[in-house]
Amino acid sequence: MERGGVPVRLESQGSKVVFGKSLSSDNEKRLRAFFDSAFEVLSKRREVVFDFSSCRSMETAPTAMVYNVSRRLENIGVDVEWRNLPEEGRALLASFERQTAVPKRISRAWSVRGIVEDIGESGRTALEVAKGLWKFSGRTTLATLSALLRPATVRWKMVRFYMEQGGVGAVPIIAVLCWLLGTVLGYMIGYQLKSFAAEAFMPDLISYAMVWEISPLIAAVLVAGRSGSAFAAEIGTMKVRQEVDALEVMGINVFGFLVTPKMLALMCVMPFLTLLADMAGLLGGLLIGGWYLDMPASIFIRRVNFVLLPIDFWWGMLKSIVYAVIIANVGCYMGMKVRGGAMEVGRATTSAVVTGIFMVILADALIAIAFMHVRPPLTI
Amino acid sequence: MDDGKLIRVENLRGGYGDDLVLDDVSLSVKVGEIMVIVGRSGCGKSTLMRYLIGLARPWSGRVVFSGQDLWADPSVLDRARKRWGVLFQSGALLASFNLMENVSLPLVELTRMSQEEMELVARRKLEVVGLAHAAEDYPLSVSGGMQKRAALARAMALDPEVLFFDEPSSGLDPITSHSLDLLIKRINRELGTTMVIVTHELPSVFAISDRVVMLDGEAKGVIAEGTAAQLRDLSTDPRVKSFFNPEKSEQEEQ
Ligand SMILES: Nc1ncnc2c1ncn2[C@@H]1O[C@H](COP(=O)(O)OP(=O)(O)OP(=O)(O)O)[C@@H](O)[C@H]1O
Ligand SMILES: [Mg+2]
Repeated sequence: MERGGVPVRLESQGSKVVFGKSLSSDNEKRLRAFFDSAFEVLSKRREVVFDFSSCRSMETAPTAMVYNVSRRLENIGVDVEWRNLPEEGRALLASFERQTAVPKRISRAWSVRGIVEDIGESGRTALEVAKGLWKFSGRTTLATLSALLRPATVRWKMVRFYMEQGGVGAVPIIAVLCWLLGTVLGYMIGYQLKSFAAEAFMPDLISYAMVWEISPLIAAVLVAGRSGSAFAAEIGTMKVRQEVDALEVMGINVFGFLVTPKMLALMCVMPFLTLLADMAGLLGGLLIGGWYLDMPASIFIRRVNFVLLPIDFWWGMLKSIVYAVIIANVGCYMGMKVRGGAMEVGRATTSAVVTGIFMVILADALIAIAFMHVRPPLTI
Repeated sequence: MDDGKLIRVENLRGGYGDDLVLDDVSLSVKVGEIMVIVGRSGCGKSTLMRYLIGLARPWSGRVVFSGQDLWADPSVLDRARKRWGVLFQSGALLASFNLMENVSLPLVELTRMSQEEMELVARRKLEVVGLAHAAEDYPLSVSGGMQKRAALARAMALDPEVLFFDEPSSGLDPITSHSLDLLIKRINRELGTTMVIVTHELPSVFAISDRVVMLDGEAKGVIAEGTAAQLRDLSTDPRVKSFFNPEKSEQEEQ
């Protein structure tokens, strides 16, 4: 048996609710069960009395529940009277009434119009982000250039740290992923070429696909996921903890201090990650060629050697530097945009990755057009 | 620098988003004085501080530092920042740097001192706030009061002309807090440092202040100004009276 006996009971054919000795969290469950079953009866009355005459103590949470029930009843036209409230109950009731008197912000109902508005809104947000990012990039570029002109001002220790974190840390996963992609692509290409006995050209297609497009892109996507998000989280947290404000009032160039080392580090490691991705992808093609198309490794290598020009590798590494700049900028920008608390940091991390990858692919499209003009014609 | 006023705030309006926090605030700080800002929690003291140190641009009005509008052009703010030190209410130490690196941060970035010199200065400043033993610890692994003191040491690292402290003694024990008051007084006397200090501690207010400015959240601005004793004994404003005599006003309420 619980303290204070029965916490609540119904009287006078359901027009009176009599509460027991205490409304406490111990008997909250039973109160809830009581109202769940009694609501039906109560709602059929025009007037209901909540009688607290034997009630000695009222805790906040169960009282809030009772209050909520009485509001629900009043909403469907039942008058509820709270009678014989003890002192603390009166204070609670008054407070609850004050809280609910304040008009709540109405949340927008779900509607087609709402969705259209939301889409329009997100379009506007995207435009704002693009504008902000553009301005931000200008400042980071300036900071980075001026830092490079005076190398003594760069925090090389941090550059090394981010190189290790973003570069060395990403080596295994990039190698494995690109090797797998090379294998799968080689298999699929071989499968199709076989049907018109052209499997000797498998190395050509693998080379172009991997070196031109897939390797730089996969490297960029992984770095965006690993480093871009880390940058956003790091700067966002610093922002929340007012560390960025502190740097600023110390007269320290926040861009030079926070952004430049990250940017330089990514610019240094990305070309090598891309080269690694190239090698891993080609290795995948080589292995699947030997296994599935009975193509000796020497033939594969000779063919790759023949179709690929040095510019293919250089171009991929060059464009990966552009990607590095994009990823570092987007990550840091999203971090700097954080206002408020931990939730915002999470959101910034997500947008750093999504926006980063989006921008990288956008840049990739533009660069691809340029490349087709720069590269000497294919050799067959 | 006209009539010895180092900082002048003229008709400042400001806040966050659409929320107006400070409406038409004007005040000034004289060279070499300790000005204390008091007021109930949430009345806008930290917000005023943000405007004084140029972290946010006023909606309207001006903040003038040694004769120049902080927002006239970017170089004014840059130059001003090299002349002051700031202690944030939250401390705001860099979490990835240990205490010594935090304190030497302004030195690394703004002077051409050698590593050894910087270390000497940083250790000395930590010693002043009683943290010599914790120089190698990281901010998140020391207590809140220790973070506060380290942040204080960082604010003072370059012996700036002006110090802005947001609640330097909150979270400190009475003994440390008292010695901090003495330290503040001593720096002010010996180096002539101008100080703007936000604090809640009445004993500190009386111990250190040359002048007190009281803000109020309802009025969104300054409601009283004078020496601490003047505000306590002569003010007729009930808000000021109850702030400076909390026990008495409680009795009256009952
Ligand atoms: N980052 C912020 N965004 C929005 N509103 C804020 C923010 N910071 C403070 N405010 C609001 O501005 C008002 C003044 O806050 P402020 O921090 O200046 O008070 P305070 O006087 O320093 O209080 P305390 O003594 O508790 O530190 C408060 O009403 C607060 O809700
Ligand atoms: Mg404050």
